Amino acid sequence: MTTATTDGLITYYADLLERLDRFAAMVLPPNDGDEAELARASDGSLLLDLEARLPVGRHSADVELDLFERWAPAARDTFERSEYRFELRHRGLDYRRAYHRHDVDHFVRAFDVATHEHCETPIGIAACGHYAGAPVANAIEAFDSLYDLWLTGAPPECGSLRCLG
Amino acid sequence: MARLYHTPKEVAEILGISDDAVLDLVNRGDLPGLRISPRITRIPIVAFDRWREGYRPKRRRVVVRPARRELEPGEGEALPSPAALSSR
Repeated sequence: MTTATTDGLITYYADLLERLDRFAAMVLPPNDGDEAELARASDGSLLLDLEARLPVGRHSADVELDLFERWAPAARDTFERSEYRFELRHRGLDYRRAYHRHDVDHFVRAFDVATHEHCETPIGIAACGHYAGAPVANAIEAFDSLYDLWLTGAPPECGSLRCLG
Repeated sequence: MARLYHTPKEVAEILGISDDAVLDLVNRGDLPGLRISPRITRIPIVAFDRWREGYRPKRRRVVVRPARRELEPGEGEALPSPAALSSR
């Protein structure tokens, strides 16, 4: 999903929150109550900005999940996803995995790609600044992918990724 | 580290149903499970345990509100306080 109406985004966000809940991810404030919010930025963009912990349980503080999307206005009540940042930081196993799309013009000029990924084992030590990565279709797909990485119980194999620079 | 997920076969044994019935529950979105590939499905133990206890996710209401903050200072930086701005 790369374009959506306001109502479409509201439904999409509710679907995402329901999936996190179903998979026992603990959503953090301000979106942890009965009501969650899409923020409208001053430029008219709608921001999906969600923090969670995986999973609810003894070690939930160790595993941080951030899901962020910027939906820029494209036409009357139509928004286009212009930016995303999906991240998992596993403090216990000391790794970070992320899928990013931002500063597209810069990345297209520098690497001929619109999206990139990050992979750090341990956190803060990157063998490569930016890795190649296929675009992530939506936040639900990102959640599934990062959640599955957490489920494996092992750090990612960053060496298997293609380094952009 | 202990494994964090069940296979469909393990869940089938726990529930006393067939593997296919487990996959049907996953495909319908009832039982929390990730279809990694056509041959691999993982069922997170923590989510499965909650599901067995009868937990079902609630549907949250989503509202659109003005952004609380858009400018985030970097590490070591700080925004001026409203009082300091109004005294200028």
